Amino acid sequence: MSVLPEIAQAVIDGDEQQAPKLVEQALSDGVAAKAVLQDGLLAGMSEVGRRFRDGEFFIPEVLIAAEAMKAGMEVLRPHLVAQGVKAEATAVIGTVRGDLHDIGKHLVGTMLEGAGFEVVDLGVDVSADKFIEACRERPVHLVAMSALLTTTMPQMETTVKQLREGLDPPPAIMIGGAPVTQAYADQIGADGYGRDAATGAEVAKDLCFKKAS
Amino acid sequence: MTSKERVARTLARRQPDRVPIYDKFWFETERQWREQLGCPFVFHPERSRFDWGATSPETQSRTLWEIFDLDITEVAWPDYRLRLVEPTVIEETDEWVLQRDGNEAVLRWWKHKMGTPEHVAFGIDTPEKWTELKPLLTPSRERVRWDEFWPLYRRARAAERFICFCTVEPFEMVKDVLGHEIMLKAMLKQPEWIHDIFDTYTRVAIRMFELVEAEGMTCDGAFIYGDMAYNTGPFMSPKHFREFLKPYHKRMFAEFHKRGMPVIFHSDGDIRLVLEDLIESGVDAINPLEAKANMDVRELAPAYGDRLGFVGGIDVRVLMTNDPDKVREEVRSKLAAAMPYHGYIYHSDHSVPPGVTLETYRTLLDEVRRLGRYD
Repeated sequence: MSVLPEIAQAVIDGDEQQAPKLVEQALSDGVAAKAVLQDGLLAGMSEVGRRFRDGEFFIPEVLIAAEAMKAGMEVLRPHLVAQGVKAEATAVIGTVRGDLHDIGKHLVGTMLEGAGFEVVDLGVDVSADKFIEACRERPVHLVAMSALLTTTMPQMETTVKQLREGLDPPPAIMIGGAPVTQAYADQIGADGYGRDAATGAEVAKDLCFKKAS
Repeated sequence: MTSKERVARTLARRQPDRVPIYDKFWFETERQWREQLGCPFVFHPERSRFDWGATSPETQSRTLWEIFDLDITEVAWPDYRLRLVEPTVIEETDEWVLQRDGNEAVLRWWKHKMGTPEHVAFGIDTPEKWTELKPLLTPSRERVRWDEFWPLYRRARAAERFICFCTVEPFEMVKDVLGHEIMLKAMLKQPEWIHDIFDTYTRVAIRMFELVEAEGMTCDGAFIYGDMAYNTGPFMSPKHFREFLKPYHKRMFAEFHKRGMPVIFHSDGDIRLVLEDLIESGVDAINPLEAKANMDVRELAPAYGDRLGFVGGIDVRVLMTNDPDKVREEVRSKLAAAMPYHGYIYHSDHSVPPGVTLETYRTLLDEVRRLGRYD
């Protein structure tokens, strides 16, 4: 029996001891690194995301699952590099200028990694210029920005506008955070809105695949 | 009816003369309005800047609560830092300051505006480190800013306001020590550690309440702060809420009830999944009912109004439109739904943000006073 479902289960269970051991076992059994990633670690995180979205999991379960995934990735990463496996897409994330909130953004970053993105986290209080700079340094498929306050939310509009003016072609842009709504995303011209970290990752996948096609 | 009688009756869900009024204001709103009202902030440089303390409302000779004739006053706010020391500044710009505080937490604060700081690092991240520093958490007089709260308390008593002993509950206290991530992960991975921390903070909180009471600062109710939810639900499952928080809430709230003090519980976010548990723990009313988190008093009052009061729910996003008709309709629809249960206190659905004009706020208060009458 393949060890891959066991890797996924270790991630779902948040078992950070078992996940790297199972990854090692899979690699020594000759399973391709890409399969370990896709059908093991990311499959596990995908199920975690589903359970979080459906209210079966809460933040603690997601946090420990992310730790298990990261522990597995530590073992897997050199093999991915050696076998030339790259992330499907790159996402640049950050909390907008004037806002220091970071907990929700961390969760979004975790879910995006779990969805197969390479995540570049610019941190908090990120200006439009900094988002643009990060997009010029590497190929970026998605910019995801958050704001927790009604007072900092307008900064999203400024950033969306500058990203569209400053990058050709601009990456897909999505927004989220406590005061943000789909209507606001539509109003400021963002491509997507995530009501929580899990649905945000689903929207991100849709946006990037749509962009790529 | 005095404010004290009005709020006491409301929290007991007995009909008062009118809906009581209370509110909170973001720092920037208060600064702007105070200038317009001709009573600008008095700066208190002796106050440490672990928050927005140097201009905090309770340090003022006249609070917005008094200016707008609000019915509740909050006092005490014990300080639960492990070390009551000035924070060490690590880095500073014109806009923010990065500092290590008395909990060994490294946080980045805005210098000129209010808000939750960035959680950069937490010094207490293992049970061993906690065990080493836990003896610092002792109840003491130094944990209350008596020179600020006694004048406010005396003014509130003279004005016959409803005075609340104000404090935070264990989740909120421990968030400042471990940060959310370490705390939430430890609930699953190191439950004994988390129980020990929550138990310790609960004991100290109760001792601090007794100490304040022994000093003569007796209060009419308790306003307990504990943000345990975000827009789409609580940070933890109801199962973990029952295991890790409910026992400590029960123990804490029982101390207030023993003295006949009702409990107003503040949590941001969507707490509907744990509302029954909060009621069972002894919560008499909830605040602030964030509209954006689906905490709609028009739905909650019919479902829980016979067992629970509501302090809040007026959507600040509507206030920010500064459209008098929209503001009046927001007040009308929510008062109409909540008033029949007699347990409703006006409050914005968090804090009044700076985009709301003084004129809008006055329109709002006039409408609450006009429509909020029971006679």
